[in-house]
Order: sequence, then C-alpha cells, then structure tokens
Amino acid sequence: MSSVSLNQNLIKRPGRLVLLGRYLRRNPSLTIGLAIMLGLTIFTVYGLLTINPKDAYPLAVRPQQPPSWKYPLGTDFFGRDLYPAMVIGLWQTAIIGLFAGALGTIVGTVLGFLSAYFGGILDKTISTICQILIPIPAFLIHVIIAGAIDKRSVTILTMAFVVFMLAWMGPTLVIRAQVLTMKERQFVSVAKLSGMNSFGIIFREILPNLLPFIAAAFVNQVFQAVFASLYLSVVGLGPLREPLLGNTLWSAQSQAAFFNGWWWWPIGPTVALALILASLALINMGIDELANPRIRTSE
Amino acid sequence: MSLKYIGQRILYLFLVVWAASTITFFIPRLSSRNPVRERFAELARMGGFAPADLEKIIADYSRAFGLDKPLFQQYFDYLAGIARFDLGVSLNLYPKTVAMLLWESLPWTIGLLIVTTILAFVIGNLLGALSAWPQTPNWIRGFATSFVMLQGVPPVLLAILLIFFIGFKLKLAPLGGVYSIGTIPEFSLSFILNLLWHQMLPALALIFGSLGGWVLSMRGMGVTIQGEDYVTYAEHKGLGARTIFRDYYLRNALLPQVTGFALALGNVVVNAIVVESIFGLPGVGSVLFAAIRSNDFLVIYGIVLFITMGVATLMIIVELLYPLLDPRIKHT
Amino acid sequence: MFYKIKFLSLSVLLIAAMGLSNSIAQEVADIPREDTLHLGWSLTSPIGTTNPWLAGYTHQQGEALQWEPLSYFGIFTDKEIPWLADSMEYTKDDFTELVIKLNPMAKWSDGVSVTSRDVVFTFEGQKNIGTLPYNAAFNQFMESVEAVDDLTVKLTFNQPAPRFKFEVLTLKFDTGIPIVPAHVLEAVEEVSEFEGGADMPHSGPYSIVSWDVNQKVYDLREDWWAVEAGRIDTPDVKRVVYFNIGGQVGQGMDIVAQRVVNSELDSALDMRSSVIDNIIANNPKVTTHSGDQPPYGYLDWWPNSLWMNTQLAPYDDARVRRAMSLVINRGLINDFVYEGAEIATIYPFPLYPGLQAFVDSPAVKALEEELQPGLYDPDASAALMEEAGFTMNRDDLWEKDGETVDATILGFEGIHSDIVPILVEMLRNGGFDSDVSFVQDAYQQMGDGVAGLYMFGHGASLKDPYAALELYHSRFSAANGTSAGGNRFSRYINPEYDAILDEMAPLSDDDPRFQELAAEALGIYWSEQIDIPIIQWLHRIPYNQTNWTNWPTTANPAMGTNGAFWAHTGMLVITNLEAAE
Repeated sequence: MSSVSLNQNLIKRPGRLVLLGRYLRRNPSLTIGLAIMLGLTIFTVYGLLTINPKDAYPLAVRPQQPPSWKYPLGTDFFGRDLYPAMVIGLWQTAIIGLFAGALGTIVGTVLGFLSAYFGGILDKTISTICQILIPIPAFLIHVIIAGAIDKRSVTILTMAFVVFMLAWMGPTLVIRAQVLTMKERQFVSVAKLSGMNSFGIIFREILPNLLPFIAAAFVNQVFQAVFASLYLSVVGLGPLREPLLGNTLWSAQSQAAFFNGWWWWPIGPTVALALILASLALINMGIDELANPRIRTSE
Repeated sequence: MSLKYIGQRILYLFLVVWAASTITFFIPRLSSRNPVRERFAELARMGGFAPADLEKIIADYSRAFGLDKPLFQQYFDYLAGIARFDLGVSLNLYPKTVAMLLWESLPWTIGLLIVTTILAFVIGNLLGALSAWPQTPNWIRGFATSFVMLQGVPPVLLAILLIFFIGFKLKLAPLGGVYSIGTIPEFSLSFILNLLWHQMLPALALIFGSLGGWVLSMRGMGVTIQGEDYVTYAEHKGLGARTIFRDYYLRNALLPQVTGFALALGNVVVNAIVVESIFGLPGVGSVLFAAIRSNDFLVIYGIVLFITMGVATLMIIVELLYPLLDPRIKHT
Repeated sequence: MFYKIKFLSLSVLLIAAMGLSNSIAQEVADIPREDTLHLGWSLTSPIGTTNPWLAGYTHQQGEALQWEPLSYFGIFTDKEIPWLADSMEYTKDDFTELVIKLNPMAKWSDGVSVTSRDVVFTFEGQKNIGTLPYNAAFNQFMESVEAVDDLTVKLTFNQPAPRFKFEVLTLKFDTGIPIVPAHVLEAVEEVSEFEGGADMPHSGPYSIVSWDVNQKVYDLREDWWAVEAGRIDTPDVKRVVYFNIGGQVGQGMDIVAQRVVNSELDSALDMRSSVIDNIIANNPKVTTHSGDQPPYGYLDWWPNSLWMNTQLAPYDDARVRRAMSLVINRGLINDFVYEGAEIATIYPFPLYPGLQAFVDSPAVKALEEELQPGLYDPDASAALMEEAGFTMNRDDLWEKDGETVDATILGFEGIHSDIVPILVEMLRNGGFDSDVSFVQDAYQQMGDGVAGLYMFGHGASLKDPYAALELYHSRFSAANGTSAGGNRFSRYINPEYDAILDEMAPLSDDDPRFQELAAEALGIYWSEQIDIPIIQWLHRIPYNQTNWTNWPTTANPAMGTNGAFWAHTGMLVITNLEAAE
C-alpha cells in the first residue's frame, strides 16, 4: 500500500512541503539557523504566556539564588528572577531587531530601487550619500545620537530607531546593484517592449527576483541591529530598568558576578545572544545560497 | 590611472571627513548637556564635595573653551581647527589636548588591532576558502562552521569569558594591563616578552570575534568562483588541486575581500572599545569609552574623525592598489 | 606566513616603544617588591603635571605624596595632626584672627626652607586666582595676611570664622589646601598653566621617577624634613606604584578584586560589599577597616539622600516628600545591598565622633522618637498622598490631574548601580512612577532642578552639623530656571530655618546654644522632609597584609586618618605602613 501512494506522489509532483523539506536538507546552514530561531521563538512565546512580568524586575524574589526548580535560571543581585528576565529580554531584543531591521530594509529597498531604476541626478545623490556615510563607523554615530537624546525618554523603540538611522545605506547599495543588473536582463527588456509600465515592471518582473536579496539584507540588518543594541546597552545608553539581554549582561559584569561566584547571572544572556546572532548568521549563509542559485551545492 | 581619478578620490576623502565632522559636531550640541559642568561634577563626586564657587569656575572654563560663542562660530572654528589638524582640548581631562590623548593611546591600539585584524583576515579567509572547496575534508568544514557560530559571540562576551576562565580560574594569562605592575619600562627582552604576554587574551578575544565574518564572506565568494569557467578550464587542463586552489581560486576570491578589509578596521575599533576597557588597556578604545561616558565631546569628535579618516584613506589606498592585484581593472 | 607573524610582532614592539615614549622615565633604581607598595587607582592627569595650582589638578593620583598642609586631621581620633605648622591658634575670642607658627625644620626638596613667605604666597594666591578651589572662601573671610617673622603668619578675618582653620587650612579627606613653594611659583607667569614637571620642588616624602599611561612610580626621598623634625619615623615603603586600573568605579571591578586576591595589588579603590566579602574569603591575608567583619569599611563623609527640587510640584508639598520616605524600607536596603550591615541612615551627615555625640544628645533622641524619620509605613504613605489630592490610577500609580509623580531617580552608574534599582522598585511598589536614569549629565540636571529625584551625597559636615544643615539655607536656594550650586539641590526656602542657621554661624560648636539650635534645625529637616536620607557612604577598601601591615583599622586607628590612600591624608597612611615579615 505504501508503495502505491509513493508511486502516485512521484507521478503527481512532490508537494510543496516535501520540496521545502528536501531543500532544507540540501541547505544545512539554513536548516540549523531556522531551527535555533524556532526554538528561541517557542521559548519566548511559551515564556510570555506563563511568566509574571513583574518577576523580571528588582525586589521580586530572593536575591543571589543559583538555578533551582523554583528559579530555573537563578536570581540576580537585585532580586530579579532571571527566567522571566530572559523571556522579556529576548522579546525586547526581538522587537529592536525586527523593527530596526524591517525599517532599514524597507527604506534601503525603496531608495535602492528608485536610485537604480530612475538613474540620473537621483541616483547620483543617493549613491554618493551612501558612499560618504559608509566609512563612518555607524556605532560611533549611534553612541553620539543615543548620548544626545534625553535618556528619560529612551525606550526599546527609540533604541531601535537610533540603530535604524544608520542602517539603510547597506541595503540601498545592495538593492541598487541588483536592480541595475536586472534592468539589463532580457526579461525586463521583453516586458518593456510589450508595453508594460514602470510600476508593472517593478512589481511583476523585478521585485519577485529581488526577494532573496531583500531577505538576505533583512537578516543582515536584524543581525546588525541586535549587535548594535547590545553595544549600546554595554556603554550604558539603553533603557536601564528593562531586562534587555545587554543590560542584564552588563549589570552582571559591573556587579563582578563571576568574581562573586554568581556565574548563572551572565551565562544566560551570553548563551541567548550567542544563539540569536549565530542563528542569524547561519540563516544569512543559507539565504545566500538561495539568492545565488549558481552556488547551490549539489546533493 | 589618471590624475582626474585621483583628484576625485581625494575630493571624496574630504567629503567623508566633512560629513563625519558635521554629524559629530551638531548632534551632541543639540542636547542640553554641558561637559564643563560634568567635569566638575566628576571632581565633586570623586572628592565628595563641590567647591562653593562652582558656578563661577564653570563660567570661566566655558569661556576658555569658547563654549559661550554662537554655535555656528564654534562650528567654523572647529572646521578650521581640523584643517590645521588641531582637534582641540579634552574637556574632561583638561589641560590634555585631543591630539595628546590620541598620541598616547594610539600606539597601544594600533599594535593590537593590526595584529588581530591581519591574523583574523588571514585565518578567516583561509578557512572560508577551504570550507567552500569541494575536496576539503569534512572536519575542516565543521571547524570553519564553528567559527561562524563564534561570530555570534561578540568580543565583549569573549573578553569577559576569557579573562574569567583563563585568567582567574586557570591562572594561565595575566589579568589585563599592558605589563606587570611595577615593572619599569625599558628596552630589554624580558620587558618585551612581558608586553606580548599581556596582549594575548585581548588579541584572542578580537580574533575569535571577527574570524567568523571573514569565513562567512569568503565562503560565499569561494562558492561563486568555483562555478566560473576558468576554474572548470583549469580542472580540465589537469592542473593539480593545490595549484588550482591557490592560483585560480584563492587569488580571485580574495580580491573583493581586500576591499572589505579597510571597512572591517572601522568595525574592529568598535569591538576594541569594549575589549580594551575590559582588559584595562590604555588604547583609543578605552579613551573613547571614557569620553562617551563623560560626554567629552571634543575627544569623541577627534576619535570619530580620526577613525573615519583612517578607514576612508585605507579604502582609497586599497582601491588605488587594486589594479596591481587584478590586471583586469583600470582606473580611468 | 611565519615570516609575516615575525614581522608583525616586530612592528608591534616598535609601536609599543612609541607608546612608552610619552612618559617620564629617569634612571630608576632597582627596588624589590617587598619594599614596594602597589596601589590600584584610575590615572587621568596629564603626564608630567605636578603643580597643585594647575587648572584641573587633582590630589588623588599620588600628588598627595608630594604636597603637605599646615595641619592634617585624624578623623577617627578627632585630633589635629600638626604638620608644616607647629600650631594654629585663634588669638581673638570672636574668631577674627588666627596665628600660625611654622616648624623650623620644614624644607622643600631642593633644600630651601618652608617659611612664612610660602604661607602668605599660598593664601594670597587662593584669594586672587579665580580657578583655585578656595578662591571664594578666601574672598569671603580673609581680610589680610601678614608674615610676622620667618616662621609666624597672622591671618585676619573680616567676620567671625570659627571653622576656617578646620575647613580650609587643615587637610582631611579631599578638602583643605596644601602649601606651595613661593620661590618656584613666583617666577611663573601663568601659574594655572604651569605643569610643574617631575622635578618641581615639593615638601612631601616621595618624588615621581617614572610615569606613563599605565602607572606612576614614586620613590622615597631620603632627605624628607619630617623624619629629621621627629614628626615620623623613616617610612618602610621605599617605592609607591599607582597602577592605572582605568575606567571608573564598578567597571572591571572583578579584575581589580582578583589582583588583590593574587597580592599583585596591596590596596585598591573602595569596593562593593559582596566583592570585598569574596576577596577576604579567597585570601585571608586581606583585611579591611573593620577587620574581616561587615561592614568591611569606614564611614565616608558623603551620606546619600534622594534630593528633590522643593520649588517644583509635586515636590513643593511636604506631604508628598514624606509619603515617598514612608515607602523606603531601610531594613530591606541593608539586607539586599549591604549583607545585613546597617548602612541605611536617617541623617544628612556621617556619624563621626563629634556628630555621634550630637545625635546621641537627649534633644535629638527626643526628636527622633517624635518624628520617626526612618519609618516604613506604606499605609501612612497612601493616606498622605490621598490627603495631598492624589488618586491611584489603573497602573497602581499615584495620579493628580492626569499626571503621575515623576520619580525618575538620577544617579551615577558604577557608584549607584547597586542601590538605585532597589529604590526604584520600592517607590514603584508605593505607587510612584519611578525609573533609573544614569545619564552622564545627571549632575547638570540636578543643578538645573529638573523634575524627579536625585541620588547624591552631602559631603559637608565632619565635626559638627553646621555645614550639612547650611546646605538648606535659602541663601543658596536659587530660583527655578537658574542653576543651584553644588549640593544645594533642594532650593528650600524657610525663613524660620534661615534664622536658626544665621544664629549658629558665628558660634563655636562647643557652645551649648549651638547644639540647641542644631537640634532645632535637624527637627525641621525631618518634619519637612527636605530630602530623603538613604544611606551612609562606606569606603570598603581592601588592605592586603601579605607585604604591608599597620593599615589604619578600627582596632588600630594609628594616626586616626581614614584608610583612603587617595585622600589628602593618604600620605600618612602610606608612610605609617610596616613591612610584613
């Protein structure tokens, strides 16, 4: 019986899921990256549904307790329960990453598109601005901006916005370069000849082909944003009361947690950050293969 | 290579420096912070008291620093200063000048950064190239991929972990600093070894932290090049795998990476800020970290400008040298 | 590839050599570790600056080993320690004249004697040079100064100045003035820009021999006058190394702690309770001011309060201020932050002997009983807030006219990052909309009087409560929109209170009327809750006894100075150390 259904499948063309499964098997970095990401998402969502957010703030529980059944990740010097703190920290890190990443990618894509498609003065201006800004180390500018805004109004979202402000140049240049090459490709010429208008060409012909590049740019932006937010909290420029992963890590460091034997305090956020950033790097690597079919390794 | 081209690049360099100085000048001034007052707050805090005529002293100092002039005048004075390579004085460490601070701290940073960046570049690219090469044994590939995972561990975490496990627990490395406490600097072998010994852990933190990036991008590059016709041609010609790897594959894949090298130096400085602070090294990173925390904006400008200039200049140098590495490219 | 690495390491060396070229280095003698004292501290002053009148000068980075005062003060023995001066006496009953007699043996390091000319030069300089820290005090009080003979100086005041000798002329903690060499500085055109350099003649026991960004090395002068004059025995410490631990308090503390455990450092800056606890656990040779028992330290003169701008709503309402104090659980602070040691306080001054006697007086005890300044009572707090017209909103926060109470606490990272987050949660639990803010311009904002609470110390009184209580005199209460002077953040205005302080000003602290008035003023401070006293400030300094003993402790107060080697009195701590066996 099983052989019959197998035959039918072979004849029918495999289903989408099966194809996806096969693709993932050929692309282990994407698979591992997505798996880690999925794990983190499940952890965070399950956590958000079960924890009491108040426990993530000081004076909630007995301080300085090592991990136990009651406090799976232990508690810190201030009486925060580190498990809820980790859940909320992951959630906030995700918000910063997604918000800054999405904004940077959208702005970058639009600018890259406009620049490459319409060319002329617009293109000159946009690409010159990008090229002038790129050698300026973004983090230093983040620091200057974050240091200048009124700290009492710094929230997770302002932090994301600060990160975004210098994150659009990368995607702009990447998308611009891709659109420039696509403009020369045959399918665009054909579409033009057949009388399709600019918007039609952009949305029906070019955009779908750009999707992998946009996805890669997005993942890269999220990576940069998480990284930048970590450094901003490390130099003390984030919202301090929030259990952001970077804040938890740095407050452990400034309370000499390792020296005092509270190893569980810095280890949690360290592992979480390492997992987030590594999974993003792996996904990025995987998407690269997706974006450049030429470099797909054969099975 | 035409003169016009070189002129263009120099103009570009000027634009980058101008943009960086303008951004760094205006953003901090938009806030209401007063670094002169903060400087006295620091004194007051450390000494536990504030002199009674604080206000008068603050006004005197503000005048001395030109902070009471109109903003635009300050801006033009500042640009004129940069043109003369005069970056002003540190507000927080007065009477130290920014140039003095850079001069004091730069050697420590350059030493560490050049070695670590070059080592990371060499090892990372080699691993990246190997991991994309079909004949590579699987264990090397696994090894290379594990460095990609390491990229997820920012150098600040690595620094903290290394100093705790290797320094505190295993006592295999010194606990930061540039040389052992109380050693009188001199030109002798033992002092030089002492210096190098103290650079080991910070260098490891920086190398591990940036290796993954090179592995990743080189791997991407490598996979692309494998599909190129000239590699296939070389294979069919029956050249040895080693020759193909070195002359056809590595050389071509490395070219775009060289451009990335200059840009990477800018990022490495960011990592250095925290790594230097954690290891207590007196480099530019530590100076910048302290300046950020005390809003010593002239020092922040000076360092941002200096780094930006360095990165932009390196980018241009690399670009100008490109035709030497790749005869196909000509600048016109 | 290996050639490349060799080449690289060679270039590193060249670069490092460049780094060391920014330094002062002389022929330096070999001095073994057992004669050397290693201290961990942050070094920031420009290399080569030793002149105490240079703008931006600090005495905290070893300079105190070079510059000496007329007199020191031993805070824990409550005794004056005469130094360059043999005596300083008020010669008129109304405290308007002071006569200083110098020690005839006192000499600068270049062999020139310290004479009344140097003292007159020092005082006149303080009066005339605007950037010197005691410029205001000399202008306010000094009428004239006169060299009677080589060793006698007469100082005349234009008003009673009973505290001038102690506050200005005596070095203790971080205040007072050292005497500078007239024969050196007279020749200098712009003294506030004169660096001094390694060889500037000084009267103190150590001279700088090596200085780069990593460390400062001081060696003992064999010809120090104080030994000859019988002030002190020849010090055992032949060399002092100030090792730059970089950054600021709190940052990299674990490394400094570990170095103390390893005996790489003999002492370092003050540390948190938990850290010092672990240092002692890891190396039993390390002790503290209180031995191996909590609180592991001694009282600094900087008790911290939550200050607020009393001219700004809702802080202009004493009921709101009191309600905030009522939700601060001082017992919980002790448990959480200080391992159970009693650090939380109800006073705006440290309890040194003179001040302890004051708070133990029946008058103050009765006030304390009546006003309950340290009470924790959330219900009473809620009642007061309702009385003041606030209602609890849906987020469990007090609200009036749609506005919650902005109780953001401004503080300083590093020194406050253990206590402030705890206070924030206490206030939040009490219904005040609180948050942490360690902005770099916190001090500026405190001075400008923005809404919110400011965690900051007092640093005023040492012997009697006058200086601390004077911080709330309306003379210093600048109007909103102008900047409040140092530590006068309250902007408190109360004519009744001013009258009490004005009556106290000319009185000496042993006058019974002074004590009576002081208690009255403290009563107003408590009942009006001008600020919310939170903690005494402790200096928990590790003393490593592996190489050096005879550190000042509770059991062995030595000269009665505090153990902070960075304070003005640090010279006395260091010169009194004895080599361990």
